[in-house]
Amino acid sequence: MSLKELRKMLDKKEIGAIELTQHYLDNIDKKDGALNSYITVCHESALNSAKNAQEMIDSNNSDSFTGIPISVKDNICTLGVKTTCASRMLEDFIPPYNATVMEKLNKSGIVMLGKTNMDEFAMGGSSQTSYFGGVKNPYDTSRVTGGSSGGAAASIAADLCAAALGSDTGGSVRQPASFCGVTGLKPTYGAVSRWGLIAFASSLDQIGVLAKSAEDTGFILNGICGYDKNDATSSKNAKGEYLSLIGSDISKLKIGVPKEFFADGLNNEVKSAVLSAVEYYKKLGCEIMDVSLPSLEYAVSAYYLISSAEAASNLSRFDGIKYGFRSGLGEDFNDLIKNSRREGFGGEVKRRIMLGNYALCSGYYDAYYKNATRIRTQIRAEYASIFEKCDVILTPTAPTTAYKIGEQENDPVKMYLADIYTVTVNIAGLPAISTTCGYDKNDMPIGMSLIGRAFDEKTIIAVCDRFEHDFTRKEAEI
Amino acid sequence: MRYQPVIGLEIHAELLTDSKVFCACQNEFGGSENTRVCPRCSGLPGTLPLLNMGAVKLAAKAGFATDCTINNYSAFDRKNYFYPDLPKAYQITQFEHPICTDGHITVKGSKDIRINRIHIEEDAGKLVHDDYEGISMADYNRCGVPLIEIVTEPDFRSIEEVQDFVEQIALRLKYAEVCDARMEQGSMRVDVNISIMPVGSTEFGTRAELKNLNSLKAIGRAIEYEINRQAEILDNGGSVVQETRRYNDNHGDTKALRSKEEAHDYRYFPEPDIPPVLLSDEDITEIKNSMPEMPQTRFKRYTEQYGLPEDDANLIISDKNFSDFYDEAVKINPDYKQISNLMLVELNRNLNESEKTISDVTFSPADLAELVKMSTDGVVSKNAAKDILKIMFDNGGKPMNIAKGHGFIMDNDASGLETIVDKIISENADSVESYKNGNQKIFGFLMGQVVRLAGKGANPKLAKELLTEKLK
Amino acid sequence: MFNSDLTKHLAELSKIEFTDDELERMTSDMTDIIAIMDKACNFDSAVKPYALDAVDYNDLRSDSHEMSYPTEKIIENAKNVKNNSFVVPKVV
Repeated sequence: MSLKELRKMLDKKEIGAIELTQHYLDNIDKKDGALNSYITVCHESALNSAKNAQEMIDSNNSDSFTGIPISVKDNICTLGVKTTCASRMLEDFIPPYNATVMEKLNKSGIVMLGKTNMDEFAMGGSSQTSYFGGVKNPYDTSRVTGGSSGGAAASIAADLCAAALGSDTGGSVRQPASFCGVTGLKPTYGAVSRWGLIAFASSLDQIGVLAKSAEDTGFILNGICGYDKNDATSSKNAKGEYLSLIGSDISKLKIGVPKEFFADGLNNEVKSAVLSAVEYYKKLGCEIMDVSLPSLEYAVSAYYLISSAEAASNLSRFDGIKYGFRSGLGEDFNDLIKNSRREGFGGEVKRRIMLGNYALCSGYYDAYYKNATRIRTQIRAEYASIFEKCDVILTPTAPTTAYKIGEQENDPVKMYLADIYTVTVNIAGLPAISTTCGYDKNDMPIGMSLIGRAFDEKTIIAVCDRFEHDFTRKEAEI
Repeated sequence: MRYQPVIGLEIHAELLTDSKVFCACQNEFGGSENTRVCPRCSGLPGTLPLLNMGAVKLAAKAGFATDCTINNYSAFDRKNYFYPDLPKAYQITQFEHPICTDGHITVKGSKDIRINRIHIEEDAGKLVHDDYEGISMADYNRCGVPLIEIVTEPDFRSIEEVQDFVEQIALRLKYAEVCDARMEQGSMRVDVNISIMPVGSTEFGTRAELKNLNSLKAIGRAIEYEINRQAEILDNGGSVVQETRRYNDNHGDTKALRSKEEAHDYRYFPEPDIPPVLLSDEDITEIKNSMPEMPQTRFKRYTEQYGLPEDDANLIISDKNFSDFYDEAVKINPDYKQISNLMLVELNRNLNESEKTISDVTFSPADLAELVKMSTDGVVSKNAAKDILKIMFDNGGKPMNIAKGHGFIMDNDASGLETIVDKIISENADSVESYKNGNQKIFGFLMGQVVRLAGKGANPKLAKELLTEKLK
Repeated sequence: MFNSDLTKHLAELSKIEFTDDELERMTSDMTDIIAIMDKACNFDSAVKPYALDAVDYNDLRSDSHEMSYPTEKIIENAKNVKNNSFVVPKVV
């Protein structure tokens, strides 16, 4: 059932808001022990919100999201509700303010079921680096969900919420969506306010949506997008109306297929599933164009240098003094913060901070950080030139499907290289959506991504929606 | 050996904005601990900075006040370091693209000191140390207070040049309403980079940075101490270490701050949360047009147009409020010299005696202008004007009302005075006799008697004329 | 070449304490990671470094203050507070 239909049912009182929330809470209680997709479940406050939502509906004051139960990634600040970033560092941090997206959704009467699990500080692609334990894939609990929004993706796949907010810095919405067989939308940089999103890499971070369909992601994006005076990098160009092209004729669109995304390193099953999606659009009448992003080979290094440099700086505020984990060790200030950070951060976070400081430190800055920003300029230019010819770009979301827990997430280099297909979108600030386009021999979902022009989410949503109509998903049996 | 000091300055000035530089907390001095703080300036996770237009404007004004170029494009960077008064563990500043560049100020009448740049940055919080408990307590009220940093080239060669520069900068920032420039309160802080080299040499020595200089006098003493300290090192064959030294005003010496185990590496990089700022030429012109008159311009006006002596002009200008008061007064009564005299002598005497400043004065510049006019028009005598000023100063009130109420109005009625003069002459026959016999001194006595009888309003000139006439 | 001295330097900049074993492991991880990052080093230096689009001065936040937060909200997540201030071991 789509969110649009759910909205109608709630407004027609074919289903009650409290009943709906209770249904999801029961699902969570029943299933999440096996998945660990939530860090915090808000039983009480969710039912209270549902009660208020029902009152809004009963008094004919319902809005788009009134009574719709969602999950929220645990790096999005929620007033009075623990926001941990899946880190020991913020194990008991309670924000005294709401993220802008939460303000908007709350005003509309949304029901927040809880806060979802993730890679610590959103750094990772497996959701196994969480201080609260890894997330398991609803299609096969011996496999990873991908990450970092793995809890969000699992919560959709296992029907533990109607929609989920995630965040995407280098693929953290799209890649877990791909691994968990759901739809994940990463909006244009600046389309959604970052106020209240605990920063990983400020120039790349963007709040995104995971849901059962492209239409649902657009439905939620309509409610969270827009300029916010609290975020100087938010844009006035995000105007909503993301569902406006759904159902329109997409056969005149030109779809670019960049050859570099189908080279060595791409799993064969993934490759053939994505290419059959290309074939699908060709049959619809879309013009398929061979295009090229020559600088893709530089993307992983540029992404990791920029994101880690910003992360090293952004995460410096976690010193155990104002909030967060404070070590009992340390005679002086220096020792206190070094021990607090030693005990408060996990291994991957430490590696990123170290890498970031390497990229920025004296003697290395020009070779690493500055060159990474040159690559950024170049990749943006290459995308711009592709979009002079095409309307949408189609790529695989990840080189593989979900792998076994313990198989590769302890090998940082392997993990980093696996981000190759998603990071350029963040580097260029573009919108992209990932949807399921097939299953591998183990029945694990395969994802493809549609990349659009800046602020042209409505086109990729419509193109994605068209595919989803003609594609039958397999439900996760959990 | 004889040495030549080489000195450059870094001056931090707190901007007189209403709100802080990256959040809307009030920008005000002091306050109870952590009462002027919000999630942004206390560095809570998930918060983002929002640049204050007012801070950009005041920084540009500081640029105009120091003949800098105001750049169309300026951008912010992060300076990363850990200290408990810096909640984000980075300071937002302008590293690569400062708002102002290439200015200068002339010191000691003829020497140009080049200003390399002026950039915007945020202040840090305050730490209170508790020796007994061995703790420091961080208060973030000052976090995010907007600062400009003015960086000069190492162009100074003497203490006098430095002091003149600092005085001029302080005055100009006050005039531009950019900063109240109170060194003792820390709203303007001067760091001195100083090295020495043998006289005649052109190769600079290794410099030390001096901090905690909170008066002009302290600057002078610290530099002097440092020149001697470095000279002694060099004379003994040693070499100066590049370090930061803290000046102790009680001891008059400088001590190295405990050196960190690692050299500072601030890892500057572009601030991703703040887009660079574009000032159009129109914006820059508009800010320029909003500049109040600068002290150096005012000095010219006072000396060239008003004909004030240079010393008097400098004295008036040295206090902007005093000078503004003067300007208001001469607008109403363009008697430049008389108003200047009354203010510099009589008003200043009252201010000094009561330990007040011009801002405490309750009467208006218009009142003072009127008082001077009353005096020059002969409505009251010069001496009476001084008395009236004192009454105005102590109790307030309009000069004319005071003059009337206290009988200061000069009596220009010759017949009335004549009666009094006749009376005094007849009552003091002996003295008159003595005067007529050549005792000139007795005139003063007789004059005094006349004035006493005639009251404060007596026209001294008229009385003198009459008395002289009658004694012939 | 990445070595343990560099790891120690970065650990100091990062303000993270490491045991000797951890340092050794980190040096090994960093060596592998930097090998990928080296790809960026030889990029065409003629390309301009990326910068955010500039905003117009007139679109900046206008200078007027608003209420600050209640002090208790600011300090409520801190582990050690005295006189409404954040407590650290004495510095200087």
